[in-house]
Amino acid sequence: MSSIGRLGQLLRTTTFRLTAVFILIFIVFSVLLLAFITFQSSIIIQRQQAADIDREVQRLEDVELHQGIRAVAFAVDRLAAEPGPGIYYLGDANGQMVVGNVNTFPQAVLRQQGVHSFNYARPRLFSSEGDSDNTPPRPGYAVVRSVALPSGFMLVVGRDVVERRGFTAIIFQGFFAGVIGILVLSIVAGAITARRVLRRIDAINATSSTIIGGNLSERVPVTRRNDEFDGLATNLNAMLDRIQGLMQGLKEVTDNVAHDLKTPLTRLRNKAESALREGAREDERREALEVTITESDKLIRTFNALLMIARAEAGAPSGALTDVDVSAVVGDVAELYGPVAEDAGTTLDSQVAEGVHLRANRELLGQAMANLIENALKYGRPEPGGAGHIVVALKQVGGRVRIEVADNGSGIPVEDRLRVLERFVRLEKSRTEAGSGLGLALVAAVARLHRGTFSIEDNNPGVRAVLDLPAG
Amino acid sequence: MKILLIEDDREAASYLMQALDEAGHVTHHAADGETGYAMASGMDYDVLIVDRMLPRRDGLSIVESLRAEGNKTPVLILSALGEVDDRVTGLRAGGDDYLTKPYAFTELLARVEVLARRSSPGEAATSFTVGDLSLDRLSRKVERNGEPILLQPREFRLLEYLMKNAGKVVTRTMLLENVWDYHFDPQTNVIDVHMSRLRSKIDRGFKTPLLQTIRGAGYMIRE
Repeated sequence: MSSIGRLGQLLRTTTFRLTAVFILIFIVFSVLLLAFITFQSSIIIQRQQAADIDREVQRLEDVELHQGIRAVAFAVDRLAAEPGPGIYYLGDANGQMVVGNVNTFPQAVLRQQGVHSFNYARPRLFSSEGDSDNTPPRPGYAVVRSVALPSGFMLVVGRDVVERRGFTAIIFQGFFAGVIGILVLSIVAGAITARRVLRRIDAINATSSTIIGGNLSERVPVTRRNDEFDGLATNLNAMLDRIQGLMQGLKEVTDNVAHDLKTPLTRLRNKAESALREGAREDERREALEVTITESDKLIRTFNALLMIARAEAGAPSGALTDVDVSAVVGDVAELYGPVAEDAGTTLDSQVAEGVHLRANRELLGQAMANLIENALKYGRPEPGGAGHIVVALKQVGGRVRIEVADNGSGIPVEDRLRVLERFVRLEKSRTEAGSGLGLALVAAVARLHRGTFSIEDNNPGVRAVLDLPAG
Repeated sequence: MKILLIEDDREAASYLMQALDEAGHVTHHAADGETGYAMASGMDYDVLIVDRMLPRRDGLSIVESLRAEGNKTPVLILSALGEVDDRVTGLRAGGDDYLTKPYAFTELLARVEVLARRSSPGEAATSFTVGDLSLDRLSRKVERNGEPILLQPREFRLLEYLMKNAGKVVTRTMLLENVWDYHFDPQTNVIDVHMSRLRSKIDRGFKTPLLQTIRGAGYMIRE
């Protein structure tokens, strides 16, 4: 990646944009705050100056009252000579300056008593050092109060405001220096953060690309920081595990399908060939063709079961689940198999709670029940001579609906109990029985479709197959 | 019986036509949806056999249009889609029966013949009689030769379905669908066991058995 492209990418990152927005907000608020502070402090300074001016005027008025105008003139002269922003003037009634340090007032100041502010030319600097008569006057801005003394003299006391402005300028300078500093720091911090985020995301992207490229075993790196990126990475990895598991399952199923369908297809082909064999008798041909049909029916049945499992696994849209009277389904199927059980010398008891309803797929639930009962009939027989006993039960306990089919046969070893739920898995002793090896896989898929579980428990002796479904 | 077969698979169609012909039915064939619809609405048939996926016009839309026009000819829908939902959609569109490919011809024939029955008055009858066996749908009483026979509710429904279609073959799947209302495929001979119980109740001790097993197809009740 070129460095410009890299920079562009950095500038486009969410982190960087967020940082920029925050900096902008920060600046706007700082400017507002500064304006407020400046405004407030200038008001305070103004008030203070006004109060100072008022106090001096008051004192000079007192001086006149007690010691006469000469004392006032002395006092004003002394004050005017002090270095600083003070503005003093004492003039006679004709407007002639007697003492003071400023003589260039607008006419209004002397004519009208009160507070005035105006631009003026200041004849000397604030500090007396280096001060001489040939120093050119410098521009100033004055706030003054003019008072007509009882003796007829005009007194003007004021302050040069340029100094006050200097104070504001210092605040501004400091502030701007601060803002620029923060700005630079934020941009750097934002860029660093964005780069770090970018690097984490790049890692995830790189892994994704490898996976898209076909390497499903790749995983997103997880750091020890345990931050939100690690959370994301962990979830992505869990998702990848699931996908890999599904792919693995799919591959196994495909292999199984290939194996388990090839066998009957071969038998089918052999039978058809034997029917065509030279010298085959008419009844042999007929028998061979009948077997062909039986075999193809078995194949179709296996296909249907596989499709049904696939459909149930895919999770039918919730609209396909309707309100089903589970009591009726369990009762119906138990009743359907009652005579078969009886003929096989097995007792089939049903203990079905009434009125249990679920949002379910009635056909799939019925098929699952049929598979369970057929399994119990086929494999649940006790040793020769013993009487088979199957109990079909439906209970609702709290928020769960439990459907149980229990037999008293030889049972399934603990280590095989999960395996028999897989497709095409048939235990040794059942190899001789007719069946596709898909019955329990379908039951498990039906359980998952209804957000429930299917498990095989010990019935001591025998097997208790339990469908545990959430009610409602 | 006059049958219209709407099926685009030429090979399957010619096999079906030949077999239906051998079973004594007159069969017309349409190879696409539009032609099929034109023939079905233009002529009077006893049964329509409609494939669900057809070129030019979908099988379900043909049935829907015919029903909208008031055409009540029984329809058997053939489909490779066999899931519960597909069946429900097929029947909701106006189909009278639904058969999933691949199917046995005996199954198709049995269903077609039972369907054709529907257009005749047998459906609404309140009682059926086959030989000396009679069944009253209102009082739910069954008698043979004047003697009452006690049946379980399910056995009564089995017999009722058989007698409604007396003289016609009904297959095991048809019995499971119509008597138990399930469409799944039991692996053991559950239906046969039920039938043998029913048979022992209505035929035991009588000279002429009424309930007959039709090899490779199903059951039939007749004199």
